Amino acid sequence: MLIRPAADDFRTIGAALGRIMLVVAGASTLPMLWALIGAEWHPLGSFVLMAGIFALVGSLLIRVSLAPRRMVQTDQDHLGWSHGMVVVALTWIIVPLIGSVPFLLSGHFASPLDAYFDAMSGLSTTGLALVQDLDHLAPSLNFWRHLLHFLGGQGIIIAALVLFAGRGITALFAGEGREDRLLPSVQSTAKAIWAVSLLHMVVGVVALGIVGYFVLGFDPVRSVFHALMIFFAAFDTGGFSPQSTSLGYYHSAIYETVTAVLMVAGALSFGLHFRMWSGAARRSHEHVRQNDTHDRDAGSRWIVLRSLETRTILLTFGFTMVLTLFGLAALGIYTSVGGLSRQGFFQILSAHTGTGFTTVPSSELALWGGMAFGGLAIAMALGGMASSTAGGVKALRVGLILRAIRNDVRGDLLPEGALVDDSYYQFGRHRLTHDVARSAMVVSLLFVGLFLAGAGVGLAYGVPFQQALFESVSAGASVGLSSGVTAPTMPVFLKLTYIVEMLLGRLEFIAVFVLIGFVYSWIRGR
Amino acid sequence: MRRMILAAAVGLVLVLANPATAGEIAVSDLVSDGASFAGGEVTVVGELIGDYGRRRNGWTWTQLNGDSYAFAPVVDGGELSGSNIGIGVRIPSEIADALDPPGRYRTVGPIVQLTGIWKYHDPDRQGETYLEVTDLTILERGRPLSESPEWSIYLAGFVLLAIAALVMWQYTRKRDAVG
Repeated sequence: MLIRPAADDFRTIGAALGRIMLVVAGASTLPMLWALIGAEWHPLGSFVLMAGIFALVGSLLIRVSLAPRRMVQTDQDHLGWSHGMVVVALTWIIVPLIGSVPFLLSGHFASPLDAYFDAMSGLSTTGLALVQDLDHLAPSLNFWRHLLHFLGGQGIIIAALVLFAGRGITALFAGEGREDRLLPSVQSTAKAIWAVSLLHMVVGVVALGIVGYFVLGFDPVRSVFHALMIFFAAFDTGGFSPQSTSLGYYHSAIYETVTAVLMVAGALSFGLHFRMWSGAARRSHEHVRQNDTHDRDAGSRWIVLRSLETRTILLTFGFTMVLTLFGLAALGIYTSVGGLSRQGFFQILSAHTGTGFTTVPSSELALWGGMAFGGLAIAMALGGMASSTAGGVKALRVGLILRAIRNDVRGDLLPEGALVDDSYYQFGRHRLTHDVARSAMVVSLLFVGLFLAGAGVGLAYGVPFQQALFESVSAGASVGLSSGVTAPTMPVFLKLTYIVEMLLGRLEFIAVFVLIGFVYSWIRGR
Repeated sequence: MRRMILAAAVGLVLVLANPATAGEIAVSDLVSDGASFAGGEVTVVGELIGDYGRRRNGWTWTQLNGDSYAFAPVVDGGELSGSNIGIGVRIPSEIADALDPPGRYRTVGPIVQLTGIWKYHDPDRQGETYLEVTDLTILERGRPLSESPEWSIYLAGFVLLAIAALVMWQYTRKRDAVG
């Protein structure tokens, strides 16, 4: 029997949602400040309106949800797992809705749906875009587009967690597809994630700014502008760019290299970042050496390379790279080894990290058939590491599935009764139980289903199969590479399909499924 | 008969007055089918946009857009007509130094006619594609644009912020009273 949610459930969800809206209202002062400094008076008005809507929605939700007798209690004290999931899903639907207001008022979008598409694409760190005349867009609006990447990639919920503590926040944390708890509390973990990100931001912007000024010959202000935009999009594996020709605009191998480093950094799990930055690996090695223990994994100086996830991503990256390069060589698109390797490497890295930057036009990507297409599509679908800003199936799940298959085959080959080592190393030894393998398999199959469903819709509108699949994988895996299908003129239902794919792929299904279940039990429950 | 000769003469004069348009191709053709023009001399018209990246080797890199926004940007009331269509171009710096600022927000860049070699997947630059400019003609100078604020949007925004502040003030006051 379905149990209809009680009024208290709505109040709990409303209060948590209201607080998150207030956090986003606070964040929207940043583009406001940008517009003010740049004397961009038209966009400034739209940012004031957006902040007003966020603030009003947030304050009303808090006021309505917390009746006077409950005001002394913190709403998170009642926040259960399902509440947290509903809050996350609603956040990811409502923030792009209100966040699209400045886009719509800019006149650069043909409809509210197009503006919502770009806001969802920004927040979900996808990077597909329907903006028109991007090259004349106000810098403050460009900043807002890229800031959405940062908010989505680092996690709006994470930002809220830094500000509000409570018992139920673990659900909020997990709802955004994060599993690593690096420190004893979720709140301290959230702070650590933001600290790591801000440190990368300083290093990344300085590095790109130096290259922009000294190598590309941009003026100082524009060097910093480009550096900041590209940092947001690269580190958060987003893929928006301030110019319509994406990374191809810069015509610089050095700029691409620095960007590639940031893309890789964004695709690594925050757990891995934290362990590298905090020197956890070194300390672990010292501990093992001093205590003469026999855990060869924990004692390795190259502990990072021993984890199942790192090994898997290196394997899949190598595989898709070889596939793409052979495919490009067979097609004869590039006549030089330098061209083949630079263009092939950048595109495949962009696909595998889920970034979506490109150095070639989409019309050219559409010509990458055969193995080159296969390599790109597989790289996009697999994605980066778990608990990173990248989308896709994720390396850990792929590694677990491959390991489970290997164990099954080994079990069949060994004599009856022989034991198969079913453990794996992921910063500590873990058992690969059937539940773990099944969970990895289920999410992976959901991703495959999502990609095929999106491709089916594209096919129904007459898009060729290769392009339909490419675009669907790109949307569902939060990548943003386009073969030319994504355009303001595409059918409304196809736009809606990609929006849903972006949402489901970014939240890895569960939070959205719980929201659907919540609404269903509200309607049909007793 | 005399009318026909006169019309033909006028037509001939118009063609000769703008001789470069004869070999001109659209930027969109270069983007969609770049391979067909690889290594050939092409002439394109459009707006210089983005930045002038002045490099130490004597070249300046920028972007040439050949879409409708080059002539009527959205900020200037231009109609929406899809995404930008642009190509990378590199111009000898001594030519680029004389150009008006490139197109951006509230700026229309110079509208130019460029003739040059279409470097498609240039092996010397690891597969980059761009136009190496040999001749540049300014058709229209760049110009600044203005965009006035919409005060009604400001008003709506500030009203919503004021209501939100009022709601939160009332909420915290009651909470403190209950606590």
